[in-house]
Amino acid sequence: MNQDNKSSQTMENFKNSFFYGSRSDLNFKFLSMISDEKAGDFIQGLFKKIAVSHDTGELNALFDYVINAQKAAYSKDVRISYNDGPFSSMKKRSDQARIMLFTSSGHFVKTEDPKPLGVDNMTQEQAESRIMEFIKHEPELSAIPKETHYDDLMVRHGGYDIKGAKKDPNVAFPLEIFRELEQEKVIGSLADTAFSFVGACSQKRLLKRTGPKWVNKIKAMDVDAVFLVPV
Amino acid sequence: MSVGHIARLLEENQIPTIITASKVFEKQLQAMHLPRVLLTSNLAGRPLGKPFDRTTQKDIIVKGLDLLDKAQENGTVAHYEI
Repeated sequence: MNQDNKSSQTMENFKNSFFYGSRSDLNFKFLSMISDEKAGDFIQGLFKKIAVSHDTGELNALFDYVINAQKAAYSKDVRISYNDGPFSSMKKRSDQARIMLFTSSGHFVKTEDPKPLGVDNMTQEQAESRIMEFIKHEPELSAIPKETHYDDLMVRHGGYDIKGAKKDPNVAFPLEIFRELEQEKVIGSLADTAFSFVGACSQKRLLKRTGPKWVNKIKAMDVDAVFLVPV
Repeated sequence: MSVGHIARLLEENQIPTIITASKVFEKQLQAMHLPRVLLTSNLAGRPLGKPFDRTTQKDIIVKGLDLLDKAQENGTVAHYEI
């Protein structure tokens, strides 16, 4: 957890406090990634947008302002780059294909807690406070049967604001919608199991060890395509 | 980006993929040279939109499936528009 002293703060302390500090807010942790000047400009602009939105009743411009600020900050944090990449063609159209849902949203079935870092019943607050440990560890894959009711689902992820995904899993883990699309024959069928994991994990281990194991598992499940949702 | 690694590994194993993500991560996803990416104008953590906005959520997924069917080469990036 980022420690900061609120009583005598510099701009730098202030903006860093949103990154797992005293003002921790995962929607605004990006403030720690931008300069003091840009953070100041962002906050000033936000205040102006709030007043405009109040007067016009138009909220989308306010949301866009925040999303674009997130994007500008994260755009400067590109750590992995390739010159090219693999491409596999669809062998059948999606309305004939067996599709699997796979997300990094951190959803799991209530009765099958993946017990991250060996902790039983870890809370969201604990996950956020231990984020630096998460990013050094190998991720756990949670298998979620396709018929799982949302009342039996939980979400925990120290890297993003889970409030939306907790209220309605469809914002990041749209299993219910895929079931509908299967019934409506928009997809050929939905794979019997969907998967989710906490994307804030050791990237090296994911790439070299965990990911290949997961892909072997998926290959054995005979799916035609995988629909991936990162958060 | 974790999901990018999984997509690349799946594609190397002849399993086609589509990633549907918030445009907040556009640069990271582009740098990974992923096969098919649909970007939405939503906050990080809510790539398919607002809670209970079922119409938009479903429409984004359908557009993602369409991209899955139509993309012909690696690096196909589309932006979701309502």
